Amino acid sequence: METEQSWRRRELVAWVAGKVMPHEPVVRAWLSARMLPAEDIDDLIQEGYCRLSALDAFKHVENPGAFFLTTVRNILANRWARARVVRIDAISEIEAMAGADQAPSPERMAGDRRELGRVRALIAALPHRCRRIVELRRIDGRSQREVAEMMGVPETIVENESVRGLRLIMDGLRAQGDRVSADYEARRPGRGGRS
Amino acid sequence: MTLTARDIEAEAARFAIRVENEGRTPALEAEIEQWIGDDSRRRGAFLRAEAAWALVGQAGEAEEAAPQEASSGRVSRRGLLAGGGGLLAASVALGLFALSPGERYETRIGEISRVPLADGSVASINSDTELAVRLEKSARVVELARGEAWLQVAKDARRPFTVEAGRVRVRAVGTAFSVRRRNDGADVLVTDGVVESWVEGAEGHRVRIAAGERAFVADNAAISKESHAAPEIDRALAWRSGRIDLAGESLAAAVAEINRYNARKIVVADPELAREPLHGMFRTDDPEGFAATVEAITGAEITQRGPERIVIASKRNF
Repeated sequence: METEQSWRRRELVAWVAGKVMPHEPVVRAWLSARMLPAEDIDDLIQEGYCRLSALDAFKHVENPGAFFLTTVRNILANRWARARVVRIDAISEIEAMAGADQAPSPERMAGDRRELGRVRALIAALPHRCRRIVELRRIDGRSQREVAEMMGVPETIVENESVRGLRLIMDGLRAQGDRVSADYEARRPGRGGRS
Repeated sequence: MTLTARDIEAEAARFAIRVENEGRTPALEAEIEQWIGDDSRRRGAFLRAEAAWALVGQAGEAEEAAPQEASSGRVSRRGLLAGGGGLLAASVALGLFALSPGERYETRIGEISRVPLADGSVASINSDTELAVRLEKSARVVELARGEAWLQVAKDARRPFTVEAGRVRVRAVGTAFSVRRRNDGADVLVTDGVVESWVEGAEGHRVRIAAGERAFVADNAAISKESHAAPEIDRALAWRSGRIDLAGESLAAAVAEINRYNARKIVVADPELAREPLHGMFRTDDPEGFAATVEAITGAEITQRGPERIVIASKRNF
């Protein structure tokens, strides 16, 4: 049955896109403050999203950023319990940042807006043909066939370029996590880079 | 060889694009489920890929909305950010709240859901119900599109809590009450405190309904109130624990009630049998058990047991 289930999925995807993904860089920064290797961070983030995909009711989650962080932290605690060097100060700062948005405060709204701005920048940075296809597909809402006709290329090219564009954008979102960490490191007085 | 997160991501991106192209067809869903298997990283990566794709769309919407924002940009930036209305307008323009003007909840047949709201209130939502919640600065509004909900309202004198059921309005400050939307009005049952109810367009005619009282508020503003209804209210709200409580209601009424909770419907084949009064407590999720009980106590007979319906008829007297 198409209807009910896929409607729910669409709602979930939209909620994750709008309310959770903007916090992903902060959660990544929190994980790298625990000195986890990059591969482990990627795994944990994917597992975190897996937990989200099992949510039945999500709209009452008041603070999706803190919720996502808590989810990932639980996965880390349960499944990845190993001795780690933990830097409490860095962690509490980042937690405060993830938890700072109880309501859509001006800062938070500006943050969301900034996030969409970043995504726009990532789209703008795509290779030319890839960018045009992503924009026609996702922003103008053209079908794959229409785009193929407009550009005079086979549909498989449109599909491949869309996949490529999406991957590049996801890479870009991941890289933001590293920048947020670097930011934190830089702002902490008297401390150098990660050892 | 184990796959890295990035390998998984690449495959997930492919599936997200295919969902966009082909729609969520059962065949594609099955293929995706097979790919995921029991790998939680894959399941997560797929949601993340779909969300990233959605984010690209949201970024596009925000861009289209940008000129609007610029035209209202005469207001100082601080003023725009400080004003709740401005914020809301900006966020709507950005598509952040693009799904609905408030939070929307929908229960399937048989599903009863208890939802804590952001203001500390709790909504218990009965089977097959659709409602939207808007928590604003000076008002809290639950819009009941269909079905029934029992609301435990957190006290907040500055933000009255109103349920809108069609044209019927029920307002509370800090109290617990249920509203069930009917074709021609709404049932209001109060379990705690006091509510005030009226019909849109007839605001002058208001009725206060207190704990232990119930009222039917018709769309035409006719209001019938019943006091000392506490035991009946308890019975009517038995759904909160997955039961229905019958005290002499007709079989027809009981079946209509049970059918609210199940896709598998009970059908009463003859009108005389449908008038039989019933007593007792039944589980809302067990139509089979209900039918068997009816068979036992009324001397009726189950003549059909299908996946979609159970038919009860009088035993034929030859």
